[in-house]
Amino acid sequence: MAYFILKRMVQSVFVMLAVAFLAFSLFQFVGDPITQMTGVETSFEDQERLREELGLNDPFIYQFVRFSGNMLQGNFGFSYRTRQPVADMIADRVPATLELGFVALIISLLVGVPTGVYTALKPRGALTQIILTTTLVGVSIPTFVIGIMLIFIFGVQLGWLPTFGRGGTLQIGSWGSSLFTLDGWRALLLPAITLGVYQLTLTMRLVRAEMMEVMRSDYIQFAMARGVPMKRLHYKHALANTMIPVITIIGLQFGGVIAFSIVTESVFQWPGMGLLFLESIRFVDIPVMGVYLVVIAFFFVLVNLVVDLLYVAIDPRLRIRDVS
Amino acid sequence: MKTLKLAFIIGAISLTALSASAETFRWASKTDPQTMDPHAVNSAPVLSFLNNIYEGLVRRNKGMSIEGSLAQSWAPLNGENGWRFNLRQGVTFQNGSTFNSEDVLFSYERASSEVADVRSWFAPVKEVRAVDDYTIDFITNAPNPLFPDSIANFMILDKDWAEANGAELPARDAENFATMNVNGTGPFTLASRDPGIKTVLVSNSNWWGKVEHNITSAVFTPIGNSATGLAALLSGEIDFIQPIPLQDVGQVESRDGFKVLEGEETRVIMFGFGHEHEKLLYSSDVTGANPFQDVRVRQAAAHAIDIASIDRVLFRGKIDGASQLVPAGISGYSETNSSRPAYDPERSKALLSEAGYPNGFSFGLKCPNDRYINDEALCRAAASMFAAVGLKAELNTVPVREYWPQLRKDAFDMYLLGWSPGTFDIEHPIRFLMSTPNSEKKLGSWNFGGYSNQRVDELLPDIQQEIDPVARQTMVDEVVGITQAEVAYIPLYTQPLIWAAKENVNLTQRADNFFMLRWVTVD
Repeated sequence: MAYFILKRMVQSVFVMLAVAFLAFSLFQFVGDPITQMTGVETSFEDQERLREELGLNDPFIYQFVRFSGNMLQGNFGFSYRTRQPVADMIADRVPATLELGFVALIISLLVGVPTGVYTALKPRGALTQIILTTTLVGVSIPTFVIGIMLIFIFGVQLGWLPTFGRGGTLQIGSWGSSLFTLDGWRALLLPAITLGVYQLTLTMRLVRAEMMEVMRSDYIQFAMARGVPMKRLHYKHALANTMIPVITIIGLQFGGVIAFSIVTESVFQWPGMGLLFLESIRFVDIPVMGVYLVVIAFFFVLVNLVVDLLYVAIDPRLRIRDVS
Repeated sequence: MKTLKLAFIIGAISLTALSASAETFRWASKTDPQTMDPHAVNSAPVLSFLNNIYEGLVRRNKGMSIEGSLAQSWAPLNGENGWRFNLRQGVTFQNGSTFNSEDVLFSYERASSEVADVRSWFAPVKEVRAVDDYTIDFITNAPNPLFPDSIANFMILDKDWAEANGAELPARDAENFATMNVNGTGPFTLASRDPGIKTVLVSNSNWWGKVEHNITSAVFTPIGNSATGLAALLSGEIDFIQPIPLQDVGQVESRDGFKVLEGEETRVIMFGFGHEHEKLLYSSDVTGANPFQDVRVRQAAAHAIDIASIDRVLFRGKIDGASQLVPAGISGYSETNSSRPAYDPERSKALLSEAGYPNGFSFGLKCPNDRYINDEALCRAAASMFAAVGLKAELNTVPVREYWPQLRKDAFDMYLLGWSPGTFDIEHPIRFLMSTPNSEKKLGSWNFGGYSNQRVDELLPDIQQEIDPVARQTMVDEVVGITQAEVAYIPLYTQPLIWAAKENVNLTQRADNFFMLRWVTVD
C-alpha cells in the first residue's frame, strides 16, 4: 500500500511539472506583461529595465526552471498586477471556489439522485419525460446564459438574491467562509445552482442508467419473485448497488467543477480562483496564471489519487497484483 | 428624571438624524486599481482612484482646468527656468502629521526615481529646492509653461510615514507598505483593501477643503463582466457604475429610478498608417511597395470613411467626428483646422486612380477587440467602407495585451489607435504620435508607423517652451495643418463616456474618465 502511494506521488509530481511546462510554453503567446504593468508614458528604457528585472529576457527554459525551482521550495513569487505574494492571493481565493464547488455538488446530488431514481422506476411516466426534456435543455444552454438568466429573474426582477460577490463571510482562521451567514448563503445560492446544473443532469442520467441496469439484474428479479416489498427492493437493494459507480464518477467530476467554475465565477463576480485566473489573463499576470494551473493540476491529481486508493481499499485483487 | 428622559429622546432623535445623512455609497468599475501606491503605476484606474485619497500641488476641477490643491498659488520663477509653488498651510495627513515642503521634495524624489512609473512627468525638471517650509521651486531645463498642468496627478505622500514603513520607493515587482496602505491628505482615506474584491474608503473628517459630498463611506467593487455590473445596478446593490456598454443605455433609461450620464472623453480614435514601411505586409496584390506612402492614397482612405453612418449604426448618435488628434476644448486645439475630410467615395476612387491604383489594392488592418468602445465593430464597418472604394482591408483583431507588442513589431499596414492627452494639451499627441521616433529624446514613442516631418520636429521644442499663448497657437496650427495635409493619421471621432447611476445620485463626469467622490451627493 505504502509503495503504491509513493509510486503515485512520484507520478503526480511529474504530472504537475508537465502541466507547469505546458503552461509556461503557452505564456510565451499570451501577450506582453510589461505593457500591462506600465503607463503609456513609460519610456522604452524603463520598460526594458523592468523586463530585465523580472527575468523576462531570459531563455524560456531558464525561466521555467526558475519557476519550478521556486515552486518546489514553496516560493510562489509576486503578482505582476497587484504586487502581492501569489501564494496569499491563491490562498485567499481557494475557500470561495471550494465552497462554491461543494455546494454545487450537494445541490446536484440532492436533486439528481431522487430524480434519477424516479425516472428509472417510472421510465414511461409523463413526469419522467418532462424531467428528461427540461434537464436536456438545461445542459444545452451555456453556463453563462443560465447565470445571467438567474441573475435577471431572482436578482433584478424579484430582488430576492444578490447578483454578485460573496456577501458576508465569517473568518475561521485563514478560511473566509460563506457557509455560516445568511448573507453568505444568499450570495452562494445562484452561482451554486448555475454551476450545479450541468453536474445535476449528469448525476441524474448516471443514476437512472445504473438503476435501470440493476433493476434488470438477476438478483433483483429473483428478489422480486420471492415477494420482497417493492419499496425495500428499490431503496435498499437496488439503490445501494447503483450508488457505488455513481459516487466514483461524481468524485472525479468534482475536480472538473473546481476547474471549470471560471465561467460561473466571472458571471457572478464570485471572488474565487477562476475569477482570479481570468483577471490574470487580462493583465498577462504570468506568475498567478502559472501557479493557478499547477494548483488545479494538483486538485485533479489529488482527487484521482483518493479515488485510486479507494479502489485499492475496496478491491483486494488490485493489492495482490500490485505486490506481485 | 423627566429631563433625563427628554435628553435621551433628543439624543435619540439627533442620532437618527445623523444616521440619515450618513451615506454609504457603492460603486463599481471594470478594473481594480492595481496598487494604492500613487507612484507605482501610471494608469487611469490607479490615478483616478487615488485622487480621492492623495492630493497633488494642483488638481483639475470639474471642467478639467488646473486649480490649487496643496499649493495655494504658483508662478514662473524670475531669472531662472521653472516654477515656484506656495504651499497651503495647516494641512495634515490622514495620520495626523503636518504637511510641508519636505513632503513635496520627498515625493518628487520618489516619483522621479528609476523604479517609479510616473517619472516621465519630471523629465523636464533639473532640480527641486525647498525654499522654506511652505515654498518649493521646480527648476526646469527650459521654459516650461505646461509644467503645472503636467503634474496634476503627482500625489504627495508623507515623508516620515513612508520612511517609517520602508516605502521610500515604489515597489515594482513585489509589494511594500504603500501598496496596501495609504496616508494622503485627500478627502477620503482607506478603511479596508481586498484587491480584486472590495475596497472601502471613509470620509476624512480633517480634510482642509470645502466638503461638497455627503458620503461617510464608499465601497468600490470591481466587476469585470458588463452584464453582471448592469444587473448589480438595476437590482439596487450598487449606486453607480462606470462605464456601461452602449447597447445597455436603453435598458437603464427605460427603468424608473436610474439614469445614464453621457459625456465625451478626451480620447480621439484614429487610424494610423505604416508610413515607414517600404512594402505592404498583408497584401495579396501589391508586392514590393507601400501605396500608403503616397499621400493621395491616404487621402483616399480618409474620404472613404462615413462618420455619420458609424455614429448612427454603432454609436446611437453619441459621437462627434474629430478633425485632429485632440477634441475641441483641449488646450491647443486648432480652431483654424477644425474641419475633417468629407465623406466622398467618388473622390477616393479618383485619388486612387491618380495614384496608380484604379482597382484599389488589399492590405492588412489591425485592430484591438477589447480596448476601445466598439473597436472591433468599428473596424468591420471601416473595412466595408474602404472596400466600397477599392481598398480591400484584411481585418485582424487581437486582445489589447497582444495588440501593443504587435504594433511595436510593425505587424500592420494600417492600425487603430485611441489617444487621450494626459496633460490635456495638444503638445502631448505631437510629442507621442507626430514626432519622428527618437528613443534617446523620448519622442514619438507611440508613433508606430514612424510618421516623420522635419518641420513638426522643429516646432515641438518651441511649442513646449513658448509662454505667449498666441505665438504658441500659431505654431500648433501649423503642425496640425501639416499633419492634416499629409494625412499623418485619420482622426475619426471622440470616444463617448457612458456611466449609469441611481436617480438619487448626483455626480460629476469629468472628461478624463476620473471619478471623484468629493463631488458625489446622494439625495
